[in-house]
Amino acid sequence: MERITVEPRDDWRDTAEAHGFRFHTIDDERYWDESACYSFSLREIEDDIEDPTAEIEQMCFEVVQRAIADDAVMARLGIPEDFWDFVADTWSQQHRNLYGRMDFAYDGKGPAKLFEYNADTPTSLYETAVFQWVWLEQAIERGIVPDGSDQFNSLHEALTGSFGQMGLTGTLHVACCKGSEEDEGTVEYIADCARQAGLDPKLIYIEDIGIDTEGRFTDLQDEPITDLFKLYPWEWIMTDEFGRNVPNTNTRFIEPGWKSLLSNKGLLPLLWEMFEGHPNLLPAYFDGDPAAAALGGNYVRKPLFSREGANVEVFENGECTVKVDGDYGAEGHILQAYHPLPEFAGNYPMVGSWLVASQPAGIGIREDTSLVTGNNARFVPHIISE
Amino acid sequence: MKRSKSVKLVAMGTGLLLVAACEEAKVDTALFESVKQCTGLGFSVQECESNYREAQRNHVNVAPKYTAKADCEADFGAAQCEVAPQRTSNGGSVFMPLMAGYLMGSMLSGGRTAGQPLYKSANDRSTFRTGDNKPVAKSVGRTQVAQSTTRPASTKTRTVSRGGFGAGARSPMRRSFGG
Repeated sequence: MERITVEPRDDWRDTAEAHGFRFHTIDDERYWDESACYSFSLREIEDDIEDPTAEIEQMCFEVVQRAIADDAVMARLGIPEDFWDFVADTWSQQHRNLYGRMDFAYDGKGPAKLFEYNADTPTSLYETAVFQWVWLEQAIERGIVPDGSDQFNSLHEALTGSFGQMGLTGTLHVACCKGSEEDEGTVEYIADCARQAGLDPKLIYIEDIGIDTEGRFTDLQDEPITDLFKLYPWEWIMTDEFGRNVPNTNTRFIEPGWKSLLSNKGLLPLLWEMFEGHPNLLPAYFDGDPAAAALGGNYVRKPLFSREGANVEVFENGECTVKVDGDYGAEGHILQAYHPLPEFAGNYPMVGSWLVASQPAGIGIREDTSLVTGNNARFVPHIISE
Repeated sequence: MKRSKSVKLVAMGTGLLLVAACEEAKVDTALFESVKQCTGLGFSVQECESNYREAQRNHVNVAPKYTAKADCEADFGAAQCEVAPQRTSNGGSVFMPLMAGYLMGSMLSGGRTAGQPLYKSANDRSTFRTGDNKPVAKSVGRTQVAQSTTRPASTKTRTVSRGGFGAGARSPMRRSFGG
């Protein structure tokens, strides 16, 4: 694994616009960054990232099995009691899942270490699946990267293929919140994939969803929502006013309710408890667990539901050395062994390993100049070179 | 190769997602006024009957609804309306047009769709239309229609409240609510 400085395509902004990639620059800050790329060997990709991703997904299924059979685990994960049966039902009825992203620290030398699993509302999907792919094609063509370079990125094919196998027919409502160009770009891309799979996607904002006299969710045309892809976290659905209707509605959600057990930092201590010593896991404990003493003074404290690094605190030798602001934390915390991201020329890359229908499907790398990957991270493409 | 062979976007960046697709695929199907016509064209009795029954079931839900018989007949013609099983919120009768035929579904389109009812409007008695007024064909038998036409017309309901989702997103503004 190497970080290589490369020449940006002189027309990349026009290319981005032409491909509907509008959020390449966010709040005047560069987000898409092709002034460098990461280069991996095929062995690194397959042995160190792809295989562990598939293996951890199977381990996650065991965590789900355990949680739905044990109310105490549901409670520790911060799932409201009114949703325990609902979450369990979505698993036992095998509601299909579409996608997820495991975030790894990886340096090409030791095993990749799982930082967390965004199993519910992962973003950076479009730039991984499409724009990174387009970059590689053009970069090869223009001699920016060696002929014969490849990329671990079958995400687009996997998404369009999987949508056709989820048992969906007709209209699929696709929802995100108002006010985020990045999220709108992500759901537009999801809708595009759904259309290619023969579905009829219909975009709606989460805030515009209604409810009818029978407790069914409705769109702005008063049509019932039967299948809903929502780029909106389960923990918010569960506490929203309409949340109480969710367990009784016929609306099928993507991601399904059982994903709330995995997109939860509580997954990390549960994995460690069940698979202690696994090379791709970091030691982790629920906050307050006496066993956490094993971490010594070097750990990261994360809220169960935090996104994009919010409210994460790093402790070194018992001292808090990094503290990120945010409004999470009331739901409880976990402690995870401190394992700094590797440094490449002053940058700290996080490898996002994608799954589609629980199968590994590619990676996208977000790079930050801080050790906690947050909102300012830049997306940097990658190649596989032989 | 570890990457997609091609990455094709049909609508992203074109604004097409907000309107109907412009190049919708046509699918083979057939429409009939009766099960007898259907079996007469070589379909099995079982296929014809199950599609007919399904269309009848869908009919109750997707047929346009009226609270006055006169309004229904104005749109669909004299003696072309019946009483629907639904009731208005204060107990009044609801009217809907008679089913004029049905569109075959499943076996012609790979199991994705179901038989659905067709109607004829008063001002165009020659054309079979879906419950949401998409013209299908002028005569019974085999035909080709846009894929979306083979899906049952949407069922309208009455929204009593909106805005019960999204409270989480009202916390301080961030770039993405995903992550």
